[in-house]
Amino acid sequence: MSLTRNAPPVLDIPEPRPPATPPKHKLWFYRFDTKRTPYVFISPFFLLFAVFGLFPIIFNGVVALRNWRLDDPDLDGWAGFANFERLVHDEDFWNALGNTFGIFILSTVPQLLIALMVANLLNRKLRGTTFWRVGVLLPYVTPVAASTLVFAVFFSRDNGMANWLLSLVGFNDMSNPLDWRAYKWSSWIAIATMVNWKWIGYNALLYLSAMQSIPKDVYEAAAVDGAGPWRQLWRITVPMIQPVLVFTVVLSSIGGLQLFNEPMLFEENPAAATGGSDSQWQTIAQLIYKVGWKDLDLGYAAAMSWALFLIILIVAGINAFLTNRLGGGRR
Amino acid sequence: MTTVSAPAPGKRRPREIGRAPQDTRGNWRTYLALTAFLLLSAFPLYWMFVIATSTDEAVSQTPPSVVPGNQLMTNLREVFTMQDVYFTASLINSFIVAAVVTVSTLFFCSLAGFAFAKLRFKGRDPLMIVVILTLTVPNQLGVVALYILMGKLGWNGTLLAVIAPFLVSAFGVFYMRQFILHAVPDELVESARMDGALTLRVYWSIIVPAIRPALAVLGLLTFVATWNEFQWPLITLNGTEFPTSMVALSDLASGNYVIYRRVLAGAFMATLPLLVLLVMGGRQIVRGIMEGAVKS
Amino acid sequence: MTRFGRRGWALVAAGLAGALTISGCSGQSLEGGNDKAAEGQITLKVNFWGDMGLDKLKAAYEKDHPNIKIVLNSGEYNAQHEDLQKKLVAGSGAPDISAVDEGFIVQFRGQSDKFVNLLDKGAGSYESKYLPWKWQQSLSKDGQQIGLGTDVGGLAMCYRTDLFKAAGLPTDRDQVSKLWTTWDDFINVGKQYVQKTKKKFVDSGTNMFNPVLAQQPQGFYNEQEQLQMEGGPKVAFDVSMKAIQAGLSANLASFQPNWDQGFKKDQFAVLACPAWMLGHIQDTAPEQKGKWDIATIPGGGGNWGGSWWTIPKQGKNADEAYKFVEWMIQPQQQIEVFKTVGNLPSQPALYKDPAVLDYKKEFMSNAPTGQIFASTAENLKPQYLGKKNGPTRVAVENVITRVQQGSLSPDKAWPEAVKQAEKAANS
Repeated sequence: MSLTRNAPPVLDIPEPRPPATPPKHKLWFYRFDTKRTPYVFISPFFLLFAVFGLFPIIFNGVVALRNWRLDDPDLDGWAGFANFERLVHDEDFWNALGNTFGIFILSTVPQLLIALMVANLLNRKLRGTTFWRVGVLLPYVTPVAASTLVFAVFFSRDNGMANWLLSLVGFNDMSNPLDWRAYKWSSWIAIATMVNWKWIGYNALLYLSAMQSIPKDVYEAAAVDGAGPWRQLWRITVPMIQPVLVFTVVLSSIGGLQLFNEPMLFEENPAAATGGSDSQWQTIAQLIYKVGWKDLDLGYAAAMSWALFLIILIVAGINAFLTNRLGGGRR
Repeated sequence: MTTVSAPAPGKRRPREIGRAPQDTRGNWRTYLALTAFLLLSAFPLYWMFVIATSTDEAVSQTPPSVVPGNQLMTNLREVFTMQDVYFTASLINSFIVAAVVTVSTLFFCSLAGFAFAKLRFKGRDPLMIVVILTLTVPNQLGVVALYILMGKLGWNGTLLAVIAPFLVSAFGVFYMRQFILHAVPDELVESARMDGALTLRVYWSIIVPAIRPALAVLGLLTFVATWNEFQWPLITLNGTEFPTSMVALSDLASGNYVIYRRVLAGAFMATLPLLVLLVMGGRQIVRGIMEGAVKS
Repeated sequence: MTRFGRRGWALVAAGLAGALTISGCSGQSLEGGNDKAAEGQITLKVNFWGDMGLDKLKAAYEKDHPNIKIVLNSGEYNAQHEDLQKKLVAGSGAPDISAVDEGFIVQFRGQSDKFVNLLDKGAGSYESKYLPWKWQQSLSKDGQQIGLGTDVGGLAMCYRTDLFKAAGLPTDRDQVSKLWTTWDDFINVGKQYVQKTKKKFVDSGTNMFNPVLAQQPQGFYNEQEQLQMEGGPKVAFDVSMKAIQAGLSANLASFQPNWDQGFKKDQFAVLACPAWMLGHIQDTAPEQKGKWDIATIPGGGGNWGGSWWTIPKQGKNADEAYKFVEWMIQPQQQIEVFKTVGNLPSQPALYKDPAVLDYKKEFMSNAPTGQIFASTAENLKPQYLGKKNGPTRVAVENVITRVQQGSLSPDKAWPEAVKQAEKAANS
């Protein structure tokens, strides 16, 4: 919030003093304008946010404490913490939680590391700077629904390109191809690949912008140690961009734990929402969709949303803390 | 952005080692690695195009075909004539939704951003903190209640349901505030007020012209994000005659007759507008992200 | 910067202008389901899945009724039923006419207050024309008729004559029928085929499970709505496990893209065929015309699937919707559908009609589909399918898929199937 305080106190003047004395009937109008217009200007945002952002979140808490079934409107009334109790004993939930974390780790760690490498490459004197930067954003602008469908074909069992490529290097036998959707490990890898593909370029640009704000003399000072480019990256650049690292880690935690599109459309039949025959890659967000709009149990789905929210809070907090610590706690 | 190309003059660079990376020329390895990364980034899009232009046979052969075929028109015709997918309508719907959301976000967020940056009013700082806090709330949380709310309003299954929740964004307000704070000198605002201009007039004739670049950035980012929105449209629009293109895509992929070349021809159509935007406004999008745009 | 700024600005302006014109022209699309486009023009939205042979019917009906426009909306089988349920509860958004499958009819007849009682529209006169069980299945407890039957899914076994020939098996449909009177016979034939050709025999274990279950006196639920896994489901499950363990299954998830490709790539040689499956085969692999034939199914007849036309009450054009439904179930139209896609009518008088009885399906090597399917449908004792039949079947199918994928061992599969079925029953 420091920026707000830095704002010069030009408009601090309590009463507007129009130089040319306006007609009297206009004076109250000007006063009204200075006093009230700011609120008029910010009110659309706050009104719309209150109705479609804040209210649903509060109301979600109410729904979570009630019986709310779409297929049985008569089953109404308070459920107390029944939905939450059910959650604790629900294997599906714990399974989805495991999947979400598995995919999350498989997608976040490589994503951020590779993004760092790419940013380091982009942080050179290059010909066609804009071309490279725009180029790495191709995945970012591609609709996730479209790209996931491509990957779904890419990872198909019988004619998939992934299996063919693996067979080229001798890892796969085309007469007994790998069924990517059959196992946890393979489906997680497939989904993590999609997530990595989409977000590496985006994160690389975030890192790049941070890298470019590092003062150059820091590098000159460090040259005494005889640091090569690689050590330069790890010793100087990374610690210097630590706030952005924390930011991206938190951002990926929030996004990664809500993963929905990729697991949803990876399904051979996207209408199923089961995340595989044994829910081997069903994420929590997908489970919420299934419980709410396929099992038609909105009360339970609302309770799950709260659980997910809590988990995100905790994980984002821990990750921020860890990233801070790893970098030496410069902040 | 400007630090990239201009090496600071007058600095002594005795040897490679002490040089800041941004002053180090990229060597062939840099270009090779970047090219490889770019190819990997582009490959799924290229392959989407290959399948979208191929016959069934080409899709299901081993090894898979890697050159485009000549069936694009045939496949597209199938996509657009599938009555139950409403693909044509879905592209129009997506366009309406993204355009309305973009215009509204630009307008409301720049208004609020202006107020937060340049106007004095009681509770300004706490309210700005509220805006920033809302950035961190995962949208997943309200989905169930939003569906019930839309049901009560009678909007489920209509485009209103996918427009209304996205009309403003906290990020937009934040971004606009930051930009206006630095881009518009306070004296300019003040002198206009002295001349007796109303606040709205100041907004329109001073602020808006000054923040055009920021509007372009925020507009592009908002358009892309809205076009790509999938989960909420799926929940509220699935099974209606008014899908967005993302929902129509998911329909294409989950009927009883799912044909990959048709699905990917549809995916290609739904991606094309954004590729055009990237080519036209790539620089703006890059800028927006480098200035810290978050996923909305 | 200014250059790009201006261009970006122009973009936004163009977007705005475009949005205004488009939303101006199609403003109604913002409002949701607006049925009356022009004055007196009525649009009837019909939801179903797969191919029910409606394209020709639609054209014919619209020609005779210029004020009616029919919108056909075919979706995925489970999704369409779930969607209908959602819309019924929401109170809006349901189609004017919705097909409901046997697997879901009990669930919906329990909500008869949400459907137009067709008896009020005069459907009572058709009772005598229907197979008695077909009429009963869509009748609610308090005697309201929510649907008029369209087809029944009499069971047979489709097979590829060319592939059978290559494997040294008989190709004549009577001889093939004699090869497999029981499911054990069938599995033995499959083993021979696999040994000879090194290819798979059946498409999927789930497409063994479903027909065998359909042949059992009792399905997943008894009439008290209790899950009965140890009866029919166990028998069907064991048959499918046997087939998978014998290596007969190509392990393709049915109605999914890889399954469709499997047709074209000769990945399986037989396919359990309720009458409605014929439409799918000819739509998926039109080039295989004349390469398929139909034999009897092992284990005697049975019924798998078959649908009703229902009219959700929330529609504004119930009268017109009923007129269209009534027209669709007339003999002429039923025969038309039978001929184009293969769906077998549910009115027994039609089985004696020469147009059905003598019909030879060209695509299926001129098999007399009328005779074959009618004989299975007439001698049928239908199963009771519970309210949760749909999700329960999906749950058990998923367990079979896991065995096929190799992530669950066959000897552990049955307890798992019971567990998943119970979960579905209680969800």
